[in-house]
Amino acid sequence: MLPVVVVHGGAGHIPKERSELSTSGVTSAVRAGYAVLRGGGSSMDAVVEAVTYLENNPAFNAGCGSVLNVKGDVEMDAFVMEGKTLGSGAVSAVRNIANPIQLARLVMDKTSHLCLTAEGAKQFARSMGVPEVPQESLITEYSRMRWRKNLAPDANPVECQMGKMGTVGAVAVDSQGNVACATSTGGILNKMEGRVGDTPCIGCGGYADNMVGAVSTTGHGEAIMKVVLAKHILYQMEQGQSVEAASDLGLACMKFRAAGLGGVITVDPQGHWAARFSSRQMAWAAAQKDTLHYGLYEGENFTQSIDVQH
Amino acid sequence: MAESSSPGMKREDPDRNSKMSAVVVVHGGAWAIPDQLAEASVDGVKAAACEGSSVLKRGGSALDAVEAAVRALEDNPAFNAGHGATLNADGEVELDAIIMDGRTLASGAVSSVKNIANPVSLARAVMEKTAHVMLTSRGANLFAESIGVVTVPPDTLLTEYEKKEWEKHKTYVTGVDEDFNTQWAHDTVGAVAVDRAGNVACATSTGGIRNKMVGRVGDSPVIGAGGYADNLSGAVSCTGHGESILKVTLARLILSHVERGKSVADSSQLSLQYMADRVRGAGGSIVVSPSGQWAATFTTDRMAWAAVDQDVLWYGLDPDERLREQLS
Repeated sequence: MLPVVVVHGGAGHIPKERSELSTSGVTSAVRAGYAVLRGGGSSMDAVVEAVTYLENNPAFNAGCGSVLNVKGDVEMDAFVMEGKTLGSGAVSAVRNIANPIQLARLVMDKTSHLCLTAEGAKQFARSMGVPEVPQESLITEYSRMRWRKNLAPDANPVECQMGKMGTVGAVAVDSQGNVACATSTGGILNKMEGRVGDTPCIGCGGYADNMVGAVSTTGHGEAIMKVVLAKHILYQMEQGQSVEAASDLGLACMKFRAAGLGGVITVDPQGHWAARFSSRQMAWAAAQKDTLHYGLYEGENFTQSIDVQH
Repeated sequence: MAESSSPGMKREDPDRNSKMSAVVVVHGGAWAIPDQLAEASVDGVKAAACEGSSVLKRGGSALDAVEAAVRALEDNPAFNAGHGATLNADGEVELDAIIMDGRTLASGAVSSVKNIANPVSLARAVMEKTAHVMLTSRGANLFAESIGVVTVPPDTLLTEYEKKEWEKHKTYVTGVDEDFNTQWAHDTVGAVAVDRAGNVACATSTGGIRNKMVGRVGDSPVIGAGGYADNLSGAVSCTGHGESILKVTLARLILSHVERGKSVADSSQLSLQYMADRVRGAGGSIVVSPSGQWAATFTTDRMAWAAVDQDVLWYGLDPDERLREQLS
């Protein structure tokens, strides 16, 4: 059953013309993560690798391709966590860097803190020799178009958000049985400057614990935060629920108590995994026992041998 | 393990069951509070608890009560929140706060905000006036300006004590102690309350760890870590080593035990013990349940706390200390 890696490219209402982009994006990312695991790499290395792929892919709302805040700027959040020591790193509202997930990992590995925000995160990036990139390199025509459209006074940001790909993330278990998670996002479309969503909030955007499992979440951030979604799912698993049932219970709680839709990827230390969502679609892919699984619409679970190039 | 807890009253009488009793509990930080700060800390939490209690007695909501109590603590330079906050590595004050309404799970938080006297009120404004839950740094400050929240000059929030401490730390450079972190000032402040309608709420506010990296965000503004409130289980506010509290999402952890039927006292003790065992962190928590049970628990040397429950003011500082004063 081990190792295994699962990735998601965001829960939402992905327009049909973009569905091919999202599917190929998540399958490439999961292949990259799986290659790390097969090479003996750790689950942390695998999830960071997979999410880096998605950040570099302009089709996703993370790194390059991030949605814009109300002022037309890019502010990104990212989070990593490893299940052995509960070590974690996060950045919120960080600007001008290509891979926030790697900066989050540096926060975990090189500081005694768990989260750095905004200017402080940028200063830290500088001190670590992380290159500063012009904001333009992170902005796509698509994200600018959606920003402009959503500036209209009667636009509904949550609705518009659901029409674009969301947060990206990955969870993995390596051959040693260590679990890890990683989540990265540009946030919600046209958000207020400085808005921080669920992604960098431990327990909300993700959580990893070798005793229970790992989760990465996507969807309406404020609703995810209100129910501390990642932890909610893991508490259910502690009480004996399967990865699938626990994920569904968490999403149901988010829907009924916080009126929000989203998706999650969940894994337990034995390698059972689930990709579940309450939104219309979620691009996801998993790799286990040299088999690639992926889907986009509800009920989809395509499989093929991992060595067949997609 | 040093701890202090007050199990709260059991409601055996069915008549009293039907009439909700309002309770407020506050804390002024869990750490090895030195003797020279002890009196001011205890006086401060007692006054804040009474502030919160008068709100509840007037029929005010739990949300109003926790905001009032935490404002009182923020205004008090003896605590590491608002006035008297510790300085980051650049010698500046950066503040974090959270407030949460157990009735709707609505929440508001600010992180790394500057020059604001009452971050808890700004957090409440985020909750009530925006579609978001959390704002950080410059964005949080811009929002404050947009709603007319007065920016105070940076010097207003500094105290001589904190300036001296910052200088001291600059000279003797040390990393954050890994073991239990009891020696470091963790005087985050917080409050939890249940009102007559049975609604619960929490609020937490802090200046963070002394000499923290610029932009360091601790547990206080992170929902589920520094605080959480849910009418179905209760409200929690935490204090202590922020990174440890985050790793175990302490507030949510405590309530997960309450949900499974444990008392607020047992839930707190189990969770703090878990934090000590799993990540070697120390801290404290205050919890209130929708039925009025409450607990103040800590694994650090001391925690300044106070509660008002049925016209009795309870308070303590040292482990196992439970003093009381009858209120009129």
